[in-house]
Amino acid sequence: MAILDVQHIEKHFGATRVLEDISFSLEEGQVLAIIGSSGSGKTTLLRCLNFLETPDAGTISVRGELLFDAADPATQRENEIRRKRLHFGLVFQSFNLFPQYTALENVTLARELLAKGEKTGEKLEDIREEGKALLAQMGLSDRMGNYPHQLSGGQQQRVAIARALAMKPDILCFDEPTSALDPELTGEVLKVIRGLADKHTTMIIVTHEMEFARDVADQVMFMDGGVVVEEGPPSEVFGNPKHPRTKQFLEKFTG
Amino acid sequence: MFWTVTISLLHGLSQSVQLFFLTLLFALPIGLLIAFGCMSRFTPIRWLFNTIVWIVRGTPLMLQLIIIYYGPGLWFDNNIWGSGRMAACVVAFVLNYSCYFSVIYRGGIEGVPVGQREAGQVLGMTKQQIFFKITLMQMIKRIVPPMSNEIITLVKDTSLARIIAISELIKAGESFMKSAGITWPLFYTGVFYLLFVGILTILFNFIERKLDYFR
Repeated sequence: MAILDVQHIEKHFGATRVLEDISFSLEEGQVLAIIGSSGSGKTTLLRCLNFLETPDAGTISVRGELLFDAADPATQRENEIRRKRLHFGLVFQSFNLFPQYTALENVTLARELLAKGEKTGEKLEDIREEGKALLAQMGLSDRMGNYPHQLSGGQQQRVAIARALAMKPDILCFDEPTSALDPELTGEVLKVIRGLADKHTTMIIVTHEMEFARDVADQVMFMDGGVVVEEGPPSEVFGNPKHPRTKQFLEKFTG
Repeated sequence: MFWTVTISLLHGLSQSVQLFFLTLLFALPIGLLIAFGCMSRFTPIRWLFNTIVWIVRGTPLMLQLIIIYYGPGLWFDNNIWGSGRMAACVVAFVLNYSCYFSVIYRGGIEGVPVGQREAGQVLGMTKQQIFFKITLMQMIKRIVPPMSNEIITLVKDTSLARIIAISELIKAGESFMKSAGITWPLFYTGVFYLLFVGILTILFNFIERKLDYFR
């Protein structure tokens, strides 16, 4: 069974139709790369999955459980949405680390609050140890006590990835994770994401890094004007694009 | 004579200081509530609070003081304040200052990037957790400079209390003009204000430095 099943998602901003009848599914442990030019709706789609935007139509299911149905307000109650968000993690383009907390505190804050608020019985010490292990995995063992402004963009983004992983999401989403970085810093972030892919972390990655998408993704989705134009394994979409719009888009990257 | 004047002025100062701290004690939290009212998603609430802020900021504190102290006696034949001039004064000051503070709070909250709230939401935090654990500290950092301005103004505004016959610092100094025919005590009051504001300035600089650990 697919870990994620998205059916007929639509989203409008006023009269502008941003997403039009988006359907796709994702298998556990697979990586989906979403490519397309700016304004094609990629980011909005990720924001819908994380319930930062409410789709106007469609359904979202994770592991067969219906999380969201635009036609059923019962699935949209504020308090439940908050829990449902935990199925997804989101790494933002601009990191959005909390400036007043150290790298480690950024990673552990939400888990600690959850443990206290819901009485999950998790020990704060264990959460901290896990946070340290995650930062070590990101190659940031010596940066745990630093505040975000003391870190480079690449380091900040790696802290943000650890922060998302700390919540143990079923599906980890990346919204152009390297777009706000200086070119020489993108490598370290892409390496970390590649490492996660090797460990079969289920991920959806919105990216402009075509070579990276080709390497890492199991599935590639090309979006344009709010619709999915073409979808398939990277060898197909990159190697043998069928739709003229896909060809046109990819030509811009091969030069 | 110098000591007599000094002791009398210290007495006036104690009234001013009392008014100052009581105003802060109530206006700081009430201002935050008004700020939330002004930002409410519920239109009538937002409209109501914005109107209150407009009226309070749009009229002189002196007028508000007079209305609050004399109003109940004049219009309802019921002077609820009795001899509690200070209580009436604190109410007027709290009303006035909480409105000014609310605008500063609001600016501070709206200045926190929306991505901060979204990051909290995505991590499954509740609205309260997002406000108290993420927004609040960043807001405080942003509002220290405008707040310090407003609070320093409050020090000097306490002199308005004399309108309803509270013997605050200026009134204490001025009384020597009538009783002893000397003017220097009035100017001497300026020294007390300068010292008071000087201490506050040091305090605000200290807070700003303390909050320098993040950006």
